[in-house]
Amino acid sequence: MKSFKSMAYPYIIWSIFLIVLPMLLIVIYAFTKEGNSVINIQFTLENFARFFSDKVFFNVLKRSFFIAVATTIICILLGYPLAYVTARMKPKSQIVMVFMVTIPTWINMLVRTYAWRGILDKSGILNSLLGLFGIGPVQFLETGFAVILGMVYNFLPFMVLQIYNSLSKMDYSYIEAASDLGADRLHTFLRVTLPLSIPGVISGITLVFLPAVSSFFIPKLLGGGQYVLIGNVIENQFLTSGDWGFGSAISLIMAIIIIISMHITKKLDKDPSSEGGKL
Amino acid sequence: MKKLIALLLSGALILTGCGGSGSESVEKVEGFEGQTLKFYNWGEYIGEDVISNFEDMYGVTVVSEYFDSNEMMYTKLSAGDVYDVLVPSDYMIERLIKEDMLQPLDLSKIPNIANLTEGVRNLDYDPGNTYSVPYFWGTVGLVYNKKNVPTEEIEAEGYSILKNTKYKGSIYLYDSERDSFMTAFKALGYSMNTDNEDEINEAYKWLSEINETMEPAYVTDEVIDSMINANKDIAVVYSGDAAFILSENPDIGFCEPKEGSNLWSDAMVIPKNAENPELAHEFINYILSYEASLDNSQTVGYASSNDEVLKYLSSEDGLYYQNEAYLPRTGYDKDEIFHDNEVLRKKLSELWIKVKSE
Repeated sequence: MKSFKSMAYPYIIWSIFLIVLPMLLIVIYAFTKEGNSVINIQFTLENFARFFSDKVFFNVLKRSFFIAVATTIICILLGYPLAYVTARMKPKSQIVMVFMVTIPTWINMLVRTYAWRGILDKSGILNSLLGLFGIGPVQFLETGFAVILGMVYNFLPFMVLQIYNSLSKMDYSYIEAASDLGADRLHTFLRVTLPLSIPGVISGITLVFLPAVSSFFIPKLLGGGQYVLIGNVIENQFLTSGDWGFGSAISLIMAIIIIISMHITKKLDKDPSSEGGKL
Repeated sequence: MKKLIALLLSGALILTGCGGSGSESVEKVEGFEGQTLKFYNWGEYIGEDVISNFEDMYGVTVVSEYFDSNEMMYTKLSAGDVYDVLVPSDYMIERLIKEDMLQPLDLSKIPNIANLTEGVRNLDYDPGNTYSVPYFWGTVGLVYNKKNVPTEEIEAEGYSILKNTKYKGSIYLYDSERDSFMTAFKALGYSMNTDNEDEINEAYKWLSEINETMEPAYVTDEVIDSMINANKDIAVVYSGDAAFILSENPDIGFCEPKEGSNLWSDAMVIPKNAENPELAHEFINYILSYEASLDNSQTVGYASSNDEVLKYLSSEDGLYYQNEAYLPRTGYDKDEIFHDNEVLRKKLSELWIKVKSE
């Protein structure tokens, strides 16, 4: 058994260097500023004060959450039926469906997002199609619609796969039992299937919401820069302004907000699933 | 964002060792076989065969990396990354010299420096070419769709056309605080190197007003494809990108606004921590040669620092004959060179986020 334990060391070393140390650096940067000639760094809360004293950053934060929440909700609405249908298919068709959902992720996200520019363009594919019906050209690119579309497109597979996993593992005899006991299909779904799939939905939310709230290149590429999200502000602090302290402070604030919201989602998870268990 | 794609593709190119080979008969240069040169350049900023020809000539490997802003390059350089040749812009070179991050060039190893054109000689950030040798240069101006925007109108209004509500929803601004504030300062008749608080605030208001009333889109490299497809009517672009857009779509025109512009240049430098400064000198010399400069300028569209190339490409036989964006405007007293100014830099980057997120 001892020998198995030591197999975790590579990962522990990896995570210390690539996760723990960078996080510590962020905390240090967030709370310090360059000092005078005697002391190199000084403790400061300036970075946080700056964030909370300026309405602009709050607006950016609000917008980031709004877009991330909208993306997550759309992903559930689109992803759940797809996962449900897939899980009800014959095993062979299921493999094909899962394959089709994952194919887009073989191509780099950046390239796929860039491709949307060509589709949404004024002279792009979508507008040419609409043109056949005498509509348009419609301005799709550089709008909030394009940003959310890009996000949903990129993150939908994560949602579908999570929900599909929990649905396909479900014991089918529960459903048979429910109909034996006289529940119609709607009731079976609401009282049996849905509660049992909630853990999948929750982990789907985690996998979609987190990258969506911190994404910076999708709004940049498809939103025409008008949709400044918190990720863009952080990127800007590090790459353009060179203000690492402020950038770290925003990252830290984001991390805390995310940890809290994840905690809340986990809590939500517990009640319905235990209810499902009782059935 | 083409740059980012180029960056991804370049990884694949390095792995497979291809990259176009237009080199049938290159004369070999001895003494560098097997060495490596680390080249840190702008994305989409080099000719198709320049790197592979240099590799064949010297028997060396060139590892290229790409950046999409001077600040990104600066961040990586100051984090300790090692490169042999960089191509920063004027104000960034000024900053790198100030912070003692560059090594002086040995001009005796760069005989091709004699090829430099008048417009890039004795630039005031580095008058004697002590640290830098120009690569490309140009101005910043407006491209416009001639079908929808009359030439007389844009010539008469200059940057103020960006506030003309007739073109609401159909303008592109350049997503960089430096270039956008340049347009604002120039439109208001101020110097773009000002550090007067009132002038900065006025410029901020000028840009905010555009953001509120004109629904502009803020783009960087996407503007090239977007304007070739005439997605919008007016865009603020670098003259070199404009030359490329004009050569792809004859309906697009270029205007160097009467209020003045930013006369900029990007130049090759060797950082202090370079591992192979000898080869770096050879590379810089090679870039200044007629063949390499021609390939660069023809592929990318930016004005060459090589006098002969510049004259050839704008002549009747050249690719950019009668292309109004290729030859940068020189000697116009309202055009300015951007200088490094820490106070202004911080201020602008803070205000730029506000402009875009209100």
